[in-house]
Amino acid sequence: MHIVKQLMAIPGVVAAGEYAYRGDRFSYEGALTDEFARMASILCRANTLSVNMQSEIFDSFAENIGCRPVQGWIVRGSQITICAVGNYFAFIENRDELLNDVMTIMRAKVGDVQDDLLVNLYARLGGDTKEALY
Amino acid sequence: MNLQKMMDLPGALAAFTYSDKGDLQSHVLREGTELTPQVLDLLARSCVANLAIAGMEARGWEAVTGQGGFQPLKGFSMVGLEWSVVVDGNRGVVVKNRDADYEATFNALQAA
Repeated sequence: MHIVKQLMAIPGVVAAGEYAYRGDRFSYEGALTDEFARMASILCRANTLSVNMQSEIFDSFAENIGCRPVQGWIVRGSQITICAVGNYFAFIENRDELLNDVMTIMRAKVGDVQDDLLVNLYARLGGDTKEALY
Repeated sequence: MNLQKMMDLPGALAAFTYSDKGDLQSHVLREGTELTPQVLDLLARSCVANLAIAGMEARGWEAVTGQGGFQPLKGFSMVGLEWSVVVDGNRGVVVKNRDADYEATFNALQAA
């Protein structure tokens, strides 16, 4: 299942999308207009580039400390949280366990965690990971 | 919440506090971790910068889109390859990605 569809199947995910690293293309699903999705893509791309730059600075202080390559970032709002991993983003409500589920799926699908069996299993299940497991 | 309690969070490798400018003020490191006080100091500085940028973006986003629910911000996290740093206010925790409970960590930092 495509990651955006998989994320949107989880109750509490407001919107999810994918953007090109070049910054000129994007796709999304959920409660955003085209213009807002374009803005969200630019915002996520800028922040992702910024944290990647910062990780290179960390690396110059201490090599191989487990920071690079950066997988993504999270901004926790009062009621909404933005998660970005790789070139995908998700706007989610602050509900119990939702952030952990979304990050597990996004990291498994996009991040460098192929060796983690449980995480990959989560990713293949799709939808509400807790409900599927138990 | 003191640093030792922050170290009880799932996967915690380090806990630290910092000034508004990002100067590292106190820290605890898990034995065996490759993180150093110097890296924590740099992390604190980057997190202050990232929180400020995120605050600006949240304010702008709410003003332009009319959507609410972002302000006031409750924290920021950078997710690295093996660990994530989670910060809110003047406190931060570095947690191992494999064991991280982001919600519990954000909630603990908020409650501190």
